[in-house]
Formats: sequence, structure tokens, C-alpha cells
Amino acid sequence: MKGIKSKEISGKKSFRKHDLKWWRNKIARCAVYFVLICVGFVYLEPIFEIIAKTFMSTEDIIDPSVNWVPKSLSLNNLKVASTVMKAGPTLRNTILWSGGMALAQTLVSAMTGYAFSRYDFKFKGFWFVMIILAFIIPTPVTMIPRLMMFVTVQEATALQLIGTAIPQVSMAVLGQGVYSTVLILIFYTAFNMIPRVLDEAAQIDGASSLKIFWFIVVKMSATTILVVFLFSFVWNWNETYITGTLLRGNIELLPSKLNMFNSEFSSLVSAQGGAFRLNKAYKMAATLISISPLLLLYVFVQKQFIQGIENTGITGE
Amino acid sequence: MAEKAVKNTVKEKPTRSGRTKSYEKRQNRLGYAFMAPWIAGFMLFTLFPFGATIVLSFCNVSTNVTGYNISFAGLENYYTAFFRNTEFVPALGSFLGMVIPYTFVILVVSFVMAYLLNKIQLGKGLMRTIYFLPVIIMSGPVMSQILDKADETVQAAQGLYNGYEGVLILNMIRSYSPRIAIFMEGIFDQLTMILWFTGIPIVLFVSGLQRINISLYEAAKIDMANEWQILWKITIPMIKPTALVAVIFTIAQLGTYDTSAIYSLIKTATNNTNGGFGFAATYSWIYCIVVLIVIGLAVLLFRDRPPKRRDIW
Repeated sequence: MKGIKSKEISGKKSFRKHDLKWWRNKIARCAVYFVLICVGFVYLEPIFEIIAKTFMSTEDIIDPSVNWVPKSLSLNNLKVASTVMKAGPTLRNTILWSGGMALAQTLVSAMTGYAFSRYDFKFKGFWFVMIILAFIIPTPVTMIPRLMMFVTVQEATALQLIGTAIPQVSMAVLGQGVYSTVLILIFYTAFNMIPRVLDEAAQIDGASSLKIFWFIVVKMSATTILVVFLFSFVWNWNETYITGTLLRGNIELLPSKLNMFNSEFSSLVSAQGGAFRLNKAYKMAATLISISPLLLLYVFVQKQFIQGIENTGITGE
Repeated sequence: MAEKAVKNTVKEKPTRSGRTKSYEKRQNRLGYAFMAPWIAGFMLFTLFPFGATIVLSFCNVSTNVTGYNISFAGLENYYTAFFRNTEFVPALGSFLGMVIPYTFVILVVSFVMAYLLNKIQLGKGLMRTIYFLPVIIMSGPVMSQILDKADETVQAAQGLYNGYEGVLILNMIRSYSPRIAIFMEGIFDQLTMILWFTGIPIVLFVSGLQRINISLYEAAKIDMANEWQILWKITIPMIKPTALVAVIFTIAQLGTYDTSAIYSLIKTATNNTNGGFGFAATYSWIYCIVVLIVIGLAVLLFRDRPPKRRDIW
């Protein structure tokens, strides 16, 4: 308003004012970028450190003048770490494990999300609260009776349960996997966006609800399914508490191997009679091995990941 | 729209009550059919264990050849947890001392970051990608490897360990109250880790900010409100529901941050086969109450009061 008025009165004055405002905007924007980039660096610093230390030789680690950039690239740390962690088979196990769990979780959360999005069943509100509650209750609270249940069943049926994948797979299949609630909420929002007219049209044509679920809702939400699968994959990958309690390291997975890296390293080295000492570089190499598949995944599908979480936020409100 | 129309037509025909009933019945049946696996799992793996933990916390559990030997012990476990065990109360205290300031800092930082992100155009996606990255790779073992201070002893010998000695403001605070200074040093020490928890809240806040109606800002500007007033009178009240979601996410994530002292206590108690389960149940039950209280406080703090919201619309 003011700008237009003064422009009409005298061109020169308005030009200067505009100029000042423009500069102020520019400086403000630069400040915003400065803050954002600085904080961004703090976020990435541990990852930079992991990568830098991984490729350092032993001399560089000891040398206090070397901080970020190694003087010479060495793959030795990676080699040692991957031998200790048995990287090949462990990686395969972890991918199969997380993938299997993610598949089960995706299916059951899609069904639950569909029920919430399409049907008006009794006590819907109550079940919705229960879904949120399942997220809020800390895991250790339910872990002890779960463990006791599985041990009891194992003793009653003489079927080996503890130390196998069965307990966690059954939990995932029945919708009690890692952060199941978030996955359900992602599906719920996504399904709500699919027009119901399509369901109705299919219904008039005589499709059963299972057919509607499969041929309309599931087929139309390929992206959502991918997002949920990936989230579930990542969270199952990173989960160590439940896995540690129920699986007990019987299937070798990368994060649990990383957890035991220090002790396994020393036992392996002493068995070989070597003179290695555990240093930060080996640990960082081991960490890099266990996160690199996830980093690789993130590079390709980061947009979907972020959108997935955005969708839960909308539901939460 | 379409769905509403259908509902209306169904409800507007009270004469065909039989038909409405069957529609409702079908909705009910199909809804539960799709919910069935989740409900079964919830009953079996969450609700029943939850109740069982409460019962077990009053019991002595010992393992024998045939299974578990459970005997009622009254408040024995609670007494032990609070008065005999020297580790539990400090662990609980340190957990609270972590959760409350962490949640506060995470919330503030992520709101500020989201607010700034919302102001820029170029590179917004890239920055968001960077901030979200930790969510993907964060896990207990990775955190403990990064936080491992084993090689800091070398630096301590070189006198680099306490890096805050020379910071003027912190020294001023320290001379005023050492406790606050230590608290702030703790936050700075853990800043990266705290920031790593802001991934999800930032994304939630950014999408929340984008969904605030622009006309509200325009109206405020016409009424001569400046940026600061707009922030406090429009943005923050409008973002409150998002903040609640973010807080719940944060507390749940901090709860699963299994390097905390409580987790290791529960783990040790669980591994102790000679009567450890009872203690573990007590510990985890107390822990659960604490977490639920913290979340409840957050809900009270951030809940949206409905009449106020109506006023805005």
C-alpha cells in the first residue's frame, strides 16, 4: 500500500525504499541459509566422522594433526570389520529378516488401515485409541510376559521357539511389530484419499469387499505400500531390543553384530594371535557396514520416506 | 462428499429400517473381519502382557524345570525397587532428566528449523532430506558406537576434554549456578544426538506449517501485525496439534532409545533367571507409568481447546 502511494508521488524515493527492502530480504535469507546449513552440518557430522575414520590408516588415527581427511586411503579397516562381522552372510540374513518382517507388517497394517478408512464398525473410536496406546506403551512392559508366553508354549509343545524367527514373525503377522501404529496411520490417511465412489461402483458391479480391497484400494496405493514397506524394513533393521530378547543372536543380524563388535573383535584377534588393537577406526568401519545399505536405500527413496511421515501427521490431528 | 451423501440417503429412509440395519450389520461384520488379525494380536501380544506385567510386578517369579513358579509377594518388589536397589531410583531420575529436557529442546529446535525451512525455496528439499536422514539409520548399536567415549581419554590427557572452560557465557552461568551450567553442557555435549531425534518432528512441523491457511496471515498483515506477532498469535496456536503429534513421536522414540540405564536394568533383571522376572516386571511397570505420565502432561500442555479453534474459523 505504502509502496504504491509513494511510487505515485515520487519515483526516486520509492526506488530507494524498494532497494532497502530488497537488501533486507536478501540478508535475512542469507542468515536463514547460514543457520540451516550450519545445523545441517551438525546433523551430518557423525556420518562424516564414520566415513572419514573408516578410510584412515592406523597412523592417521594416532596422528593428532589428521582430523577429517585421511592422508592415505586404506581399506584395511573395512576388511577387518567385515571379517569380524562376517559381513556377507550377515548382510543377507539381515535383508531377508527385515524384508520378511516388513512384508508381514505391511499386509496387516493395510488391512487394519482399510477397516478404519472404509467401515463404520462398533467401538471404532475405542479401537483407534487402542492403536495409539499400542504405540505409546513402552516395549519393555509387554516384553516379559511375551517372553514367558513363548517359553511356556515352547515347553508345552516341545517346539523350539526362542531363538527362532517364529515369535517375531507371529507378532508381525498379527500387527504387533515395530511401530505398527505409524504404518497403520500411513495407510489410513492414504486410503482416505482414494474416492469412495470407486468402491461403490465396484460394489454395484457385484465385487466382494475383499475384491474391492485388493483390486481397487491396494492396486491404487502402490506408492503408499512401498513407503510402508520401506519404513517397516528400516525399523525392523534398526530394532535390537526385542530381537535381542527373543532371537538371542541365533540368526546373525548386522545391528546385533555391531552391538557385540568390541567383544567379538578381541576374541577373534586373540584367537589368531594377532597384534591388532581395537581402535575407533575399526568400530567406525563396522558402523559404516551396518548402516550403508540403509544409506543407499535412502538415496533412492528419500522423498517417499518424508511423504510417509507427513501423512501420519495429518492423521494425528 | 460421496460418502457423506451415501450416509445421508441411508439415514434419511427410516421407513426401510430393516435395510438400514443390515447395512450397519454388514459394516460391522466387514470392519471386524479386516480388523481381526490386529485385534487378535493386540489381545495376545499387547493387552494380555500389559495386564500380566501388572500382576507379575506383585509376584515372585522363579524358573524351574517344568516352567515358571509364580507366587504372590505383595509390595515386596516395589519396596526393593525403591529402597533396596541402589540403581533403580537414580536410573529413573536420569531417564526423567533425559526425557523432559530432550523433548523440550527437540521440540523447540525442530519448530525453529521447520519455520526457517518454510521461509526458503531453493534447497528446501535437500535440507529436509538431510534432517530426515538420522531417522533411517538411528539404532541403539549405532548410537552407542558413535557416542563411545573410549578414545576421549587421549584427548582428556591433552586437556581438550572439557571444551566449555573458555566459553564466557557458560562461565558466567557457572558462577551463578553450577547446576544449570552442567545441565547446559550436557545438552551441548549431546547436541548431535538430540538433533538426530528431530528428523520426524521437523517433517511434521513443515507439513503442518504448510497447511496453515495463507489468508490468516494476510488478514493479520492487513491489521498491521508484524512477523513476531504473527508467529505468536497465529503460527504457534495453529501448529499446536502438530506439536502434540511431534511430542508423542519424540517421547516414544526416546523411550526406545535402548542405551538408557533403565533398559539395561530391565535387561539384567530379565536375564536373571532366579526370580528376576518379578523385578523386571516391577521396573518396567514403573517405567511405563512414568512414560505415560510424561505423555499425559504433554497432552495436557498441547491439547487443542475446541471453542478457541471455532473462534478462528
